[in-house]
Amino acid sequence: METTATGIQSAAWLLIAIPAISALILLTAGKYADKWGHYLGAVVPVGLFVFSLFLFFSVKGQHNRLIDDHLFTWINAGRFQVAAGLLIDPLALTFVLLITGVGGLIHIYALGYMAHDPGRRRFFGYFNLFVAAMLLLVTADGYLLMYVGWEGVGVASYLLISYYFDRNSAATAGNKAFYSNRVGDVGLSLAIMLMFCYFGSTSFGSVFSHFGAHGNATTGVAAAIGLMLVLGACGKSGQFPLQTWLPDAMEGPTPVSALIHAATMVTAGVYVIARSAPIFDASQAARTVVVIIGAVTLLYGCICAFGQDDLKKVLAYSTVSQIGYMFLAAGLGKGVYAIAIIHLLGHGFFKAALFLSAGSVMHAMNDRIDMRRFGGLGKVMPITFGVFVCGYLAIIGFPLATGFWTKDKIIESAFDKGGASGWILGLCALLGAGLTAAYMTRALVMTFLGKRRWEDDVHPHEAPSTMTIPMVILAVLALVGGFLLIVNGGVQHWLTPSVGGSIEVGTHTLNKWVLGAITLVVVALGVAGGFLAFREVPTIQPIGSPVTVAARRNLFADAFQEAVLMKPGQWLSRALVYFDSRGVDGVVNGAAAGFGGSSSRLRRIQNGFVRSYALSMLGGAIAVAAVLLAVRFQ
Amino acid sequence: MSTPHDVTLLILLLIPLVGSAVVFSLGNEQGKLAKQISLVVSLIVLVYTVVVAFRFKTGFGAKRFQFDGTWTWIKSFGAHIAFGVDGIALMLVLMSVILVPAVILASWNALDSRAGAEEAVAAPTPDGHPVRRRSVKNYFGLLLLLEFFMIGVFISMDVFLFYVFFEAMLVPMYFIIGSFGGPRRQYAAMKFFLYSLVGGLLMLASVIGLYVTTGSRTFLIADLIGKVPNDATQKWLFLGFFIAFAIKAPLVPFHTWLPDAGAEAPAGGAALLVGVLDKVGTFGFLRYCIPLFPDASHYFAPTILILSVIGILYAAFLAIGQRDMKRLVAYTSVAHFGFIGLGIFAFTTQGGTGAVLYMFNHGLSTGALFIVVGLLIARGKSRNVADYGGVAKVTPLLAGLFLLTGLSALALPGMSTFVSEFLVLVGTFTRHKGLAVLGTTGIILAAIYVLYLYQRTFQGQIKDGARDRISKFRDVSPREILAVAPLLALIIFLGIYPKPVLNVIDPAVKATLHNAHVQHDPAPKLGPVAGGLK
Amino acid sequence: MSALAVASITTPSVAYGALSPIFIVLGAALVGVLVEAVVPRNERYPVQVFVTLAGLVGSLVAVGLIHGDRLTTPSPLGNDSPFAGSLAIDGVGLFLQGTILVLAVLATLLVAERTVDVGSSIVASAAVVVGSPADRALSRTNRMQTEVFPLLLFAVTGMLIFPISNNLILMFVALEVLSLPLYLMAGLSRRRRLLSQEASMKYFLLGAFASAFFLYGLALLYGYANTVDLPGILAAQRSGTHSDVLLYLGLGLLLVGLLFKASVAPFHSWTPDVYSGAATPVTAFMASCTKVAAFGALLRVLYIGFSGSAWDWRPIIWGVAIASMVVGAVLGLTQTDIKRILAYSSIAHAGFILVGLVALTKQSAASVMFYVLSYGFTTLAAFGLLMLVRDADGEATRLSQWSGLAKKSPVVAGVMTVLLMSMAGIPLTAGFTGKFYVFRAAWHTAGPLVVIALLSSAVAAFFYLRIIVMMFFADPPENAPTVAIPGWAASVALTAGLVVTVVLGVFPQPIIDLATKAAHLVG
Repeated sequence: METTATGIQSAAWLLIAIPAISALILLTAGKYADKWGHYLGAVVPVGLFVFSLFLFFSVKGQHNRLIDDHLFTWINAGRFQVAAGLLIDPLALTFVLLITGVGGLIHIYALGYMAHDPGRRRFFGYFNLFVAAMLLLVTADGYLLMYVGWEGVGVASYLLISYYFDRNSAATAGNKAFYSNRVGDVGLSLAIMLMFCYFGSTSFGSVFSHFGAHGNATTGVAAAIGLMLVLGACGKSGQFPLQTWLPDAMEGPTPVSALIHAATMVTAGVYVIARSAPIFDASQAARTVVVIIGAVTLLYGCICAFGQDDLKKVLAYSTVSQIGYMFLAAGLGKGVYAIAIIHLLGHGFFKAALFLSAGSVMHAMNDRIDMRRFGGLGKVMPITFGVFVCGYLAIIGFPLATGFWTKDKIIESAFDKGGASGWILGLCALLGAGLTAAYMTRALVMTFLGKRRWEDDVHPHEAPSTMTIPMVILAVLALVGGFLLIVNGGVQHWLTPSVGGSIEVGTHTLNKWVLGAITLVVVALGVAGGFLAFREVPTIQPIGSPVTVAARRNLFADAFQEAVLMKPGQWLSRALVYFDSRGVDGVVNGAAAGFGGSSSRLRRIQNGFVRSYALSMLGGAIAVAAVLLAVRFQ
Repeated sequence: MSTPHDVTLLILLLIPLVGSAVVFSLGNEQGKLAKQISLVVSLIVLVYTVVVAFRFKTGFGAKRFQFDGTWTWIKSFGAHIAFGVDGIALMLVLMSVILVPAVILASWNALDSRAGAEEAVAAPTPDGHPVRRRSVKNYFGLLLLLEFFMIGVFISMDVFLFYVFFEAMLVPMYFIIGSFGGPRRQYAAMKFFLYSLVGGLLMLASVIGLYVTTGSRTFLIADLIGKVPNDATQKWLFLGFFIAFAIKAPLVPFHTWLPDAGAEAPAGGAALLVGVLDKVGTFGFLRYCIPLFPDASHYFAPTILILSVIGILYAAFLAIGQRDMKRLVAYTSVAHFGFIGLGIFAFTTQGGTGAVLYMFNHGLSTGALFIVVGLLIARGKSRNVADYGGVAKVTPLLAGLFLLTGLSALALPGMSTFVSEFLVLVGTFTRHKGLAVLGTTGIILAAIYVLYLYQRTFQGQIKDGARDRISKFRDVSPREILAVAPLLALIIFLGIYPKPVLNVIDPAVKATLHNAHVQHDPAPKLGPVAGGLK
Repeated sequence: MSALAVASITTPSVAYGALSPIFIVLGAALVGVLVEAVVPRNERYPVQVFVTLAGLVGSLVAVGLIHGDRLTTPSPLGNDSPFAGSLAIDGVGLFLQGTILVLAVLATLLVAERTVDVGSSIVASAAVVVGSPADRALSRTNRMQTEVFPLLLFAVTGMLIFPISNNLILMFVALEVLSLPLYLMAGLSRRRRLLSQEASMKYFLLGAFASAFFLYGLALLYGYANTVDLPGILAAQRSGTHSDVLLYLGLGLLLVGLLFKASVAPFHSWTPDVYSGAATPVTAFMASCTKVAAFGALLRVLYIGFSGSAWDWRPIIWGVAIASMVVGAVLGLTQTDIKRILAYSSIAHAGFILVGLVALTKQSAASVMFYVLSYGFTTLAAFGLLMLVRDADGEATRLSQWSGLAKKSPVVAGVMTVLLMSMAGIPLTAGFTGKFYVFRAAWHTAGPLVVIALLSSAVAAFFYLRIIVMMFFADPPENAPTVAIPGWAASVALTAGLVVTVVLGVFPQPIIDLATKAAHLVG
């Protein structure tokens, strides 16, 4: 059971209030804030990081680490009572630190990156808005309040994707992202409704009380709620089948891609699943769906990544696939949630590093991002190159680098699931590792190695220190972070109160070391393959094999959506508009016309001749008499 | 029993009436003075109402209807001048009186042929000639007169009196549309009036029937509740009221007058038309249909719920397909009505409370949306979406207002519209899962019609053809911001802290459901568990 | 023997007090005739106006007095006379007489109005050939056919007797007394004289035709009941020994005569032509006073004479009511002349009033009385307004000519709007109160009829709205008509009409009380 917040913990609401207020200031203050606005925007997350460190220690210091900070009654309608309160527990704090830490670094980076952008103040406003919403999302103590943060980050993401709103592609990408999220929201809403309908409450505590040992929730209920949550998670985390928006989201400025569409927001789906551990523990079906989605998406991401010539797109698809890993882990259930979270953190580090260095490349190349136009940048931009390499080593799971600790654990757990499914999942994960190594190598080679392929009008140069310093810090984290996270199971134990302890699997399907070795071999093969295959880079995209084409067109997912959802939708809309004007309104106007017509027809009787008037009177008289007699003698 | 004679509401009602009389009595050339007077009057009304709202008691032992005063009017008809507000009425009165000053501010220059030619062209003549000069004072006089009727219709406690306000309300709106509207204003005004009149007359039949069948020689609601025998007659009487309200609301398939009226009315008029007048329909369901004809309400509820869900989806698709911005907004509110209907006829506390809050929010939100769209149209001199694009570059503030209003229209969590919409859905879900699921999918469509409109108008490149035109747009003036910003601020505040409002609404809704013989909400399917999160 | 004869004649005792309203008006009419004979032409106008108003007001006072001392006798002519019980000075009768007189005063004022058109809208000399040089010369002088005033008084006399006669013979006499002057008056328009004369001719022919029906019905009823007293006819039905065929044929034909005067479909066809042909003040007089009288008579015939057989004749009333409402509403839609629109509206309203008649209760009687009163004022004022909007050749009554009127004269447009709203039955106007009252009375016996009535009034609303649309939302045409400033006479009449229309919408209770108190008929 949660304990009430004390001391600094009861000030936790500042986590949300401060960035929200600063966002409000930045967005409403107008040009008066242009001078200093961006500094305010950057200071806020850094300050919050410090604040959350204090929180962290104050929580770490006490035995019961589930702190509930009740703020006020939010909604009260009959039995529907929803409190606005924060749940400050290890899981939440982990995310808070990630968001404020990595977020702070990326804010600082953005100072340099957006230095010459006219809309800088607006950008930082949106950015702080995002931080506020994201922190609400991870600290809320109930599903409905979480939904607010959930949608808040959605809006922030929409605003930032379409930040360059005068680019139609950007505007469209933003809308696409929001629509996909809305689809997910339907799932989340329905999950919450189910909770209220069955448990009469939507706060984590009382919902979870219905699950587990003493719970009375049937597996059916658990499955229903679980699946609805998964739908929501897929929307937010760009998982199959709602993944297509995430690559398009790269239309936003690079810091956005780094923070929102790599490090934090897109991992919210994983957060929800981990947070709802009791529910998923209770439903095998839900978990199965999660692992399948994870496995499918991680391979999907890898394959598509090969087809991209846009560096950021490559990284985007790698994000898709890495989150696939996390889903896979989360879906494995009891004890593995923590591993998913750990990989999430590690991914936060190295993917941020990769994106920031990609951003620095764009910065250097006048916002060109086509890797076929890069090459040999390593010499020109040593720091950026270094950072990228660190990120690269981390993601492919080079020994002792972050991925090596976090990703391999997922592969391992997949195999340990046991049974045929265990083997299948394990092999998928393994294959994924290989492919990841390959496509990342491709990106590395095309961008930094080989000979220069850029035109003469661009003069690559190293980024300013405001950008390089955060990059370097993240690079370091990317290298050593993973080890720090798992060293004597630190984070795993830390997270236990929130997501349940990790059961040490007695029998490994494969021996730890053997599996580790196999993984390394696969990765090595991937790297080698990458080097060999992409040494020569034609500046014009070759036709390519059907597979390549498919990969370029993200396996026709967009085409599919267009054909199955968009076109029919537009057609339906047009059809209904016609029906409404001709059909429904037609009846109305038709009635009016009917009266008018009968009127002009009847008018002819009124012809002005006394004789016909008299005749009509006579007719009337006869009718009257006839009716009277009829009534009488019926 | 001694009849109460509290004059609080009577005074509230008279202020705008006197105001409009004063404004009408001005000369045609005193337009400026007319504006100032009507603004002041509307603000007085606002302040007065807020004071009343604060004096409204909630919690245990609080009367349901407060500030009630009753005076005999037409003895032979059993008609009374009877006023009183419960939580529902109070919220709607508040909503109306908040909206009126906003509308007055927003249409400040709407009719000046000079400066505000922009707003004036909210009603461009077909051949694009500048709009003919129209009497400013009449417009503002009509607005105040309309406010008088709007307040009256919500605070009436006597069916006859309510009917009188309900019908008479058409007249000022008819003139607002007809003499200040767009190119097809004559058609729109006529359609609006006749459509509502048909509904109103059917309702009149039921009103008379109510008097005759109950045999109670009075029209006081309090004396009529529970008097209507449960038989076929009750169903007929219910239908009479229902159709009238369904047309007002409007419920698909009685909605086709709204797009025309909403599109042709001047932005301000449209805001009041959709924001307030339509609420009379849904208000009528709660105040008249359900308490007076509980059995019939239950009998017809399934049909109404289905129509509501159809409305949510159908109107949303229509909105997506519109080329005319104001028609688009009109259709969105048809969809929103679907939610309100869903909430009302789900017969749960959540649904009902949500529905009432929804009415309040929707009034502000759609009102604001019409105003903002009006501001854009005033600059672009066209209602056609295709004539815009990339406007945000030129008028960032307007774009911001537009987007924020749009987000409130798609019920963004954190805004009060979300609270109401979710309450409606969750309230429906506990009784009718399938319908609630269908309704929930409406939130996707809502996102599409709002953001797609925003994209086509404000985002993207400025079209070459339109460049010189659009680049001349001026951003919103402080006055225009002042008109919309408070509405949005309120929406956001109530999204974060809706409790005070819910405390006012909840008891009234419970009482209404009680009248409808609904004693309890469905209980949670699974009881609480001892212990908790271990 | 002559002495014997003299002895055998007993002078009937006449309750002159009770009949004084009739006598006063009749007297005034005769004075008017004398005035025509003796007073030189130039002084006639003021004298006639004075005499007429004096007569009407005097009679009105008499009505008030009678009502004051509650004198209601089944037989003003004493019970020993052959015409015993033939006139009933009862509540309904007095109420309707009062209404007729007030409306007649206003109508007189409209007739007397001479500032809007040279020498009033009554022709200078009806006998002069239309279009002849003399005619053209006269039309420019301010001469007028002042005989119109005595004619009006004679018509009023008939109208005063019509609704109080319990005896069909007397009723027939009254019918003719009120009709013949109207036939003439219809032909006295100053402008468009040919149209006017045609109208007069039509009205006369069809009126005669209707009277024939009435007379024939009367004869059959006599054959049925051996009496022409309504109570007697009722008694005969109660005893039920006679052949019903005569009864029903008689009633049917009788009704035709009455419905014709009330311009109920299908006996309405004269109305549009006559209303639009006659001089507008005359039309106003016909549309208000005649209707009151006709419905008074219907009320009496059905309540006193045939209350027993209500179930048998009710279908007829249903039928004609629906017919009139539908014909009035639907045909009104496509009219392009406001005068004709108002004519059709009056046909539709006749239908509404009939709805009130079917119930046969005290309530319904009261509601009908209230309705005819309120409608009388409204329609009179509406026609009166038509006189003000003019162009070169008289009143501009084409709908198109009224477009944009609100810009030229907001007052006229505003007043017209109120009156039209009242006719459409929008709340806070007399029209709404009346409709509500009538429909409420009818609900029990005729629920469906009420719904039909409401729907048809929705249809009818369309053409009222069309006029408003024209006046307010359309732009004025080239050569838009001018709006004349009415003189004192018309102003008084119009103001009265408007005030009553609004007051009866907002505070109708006093008049309702009056009607309810008065709503009992004696047989």
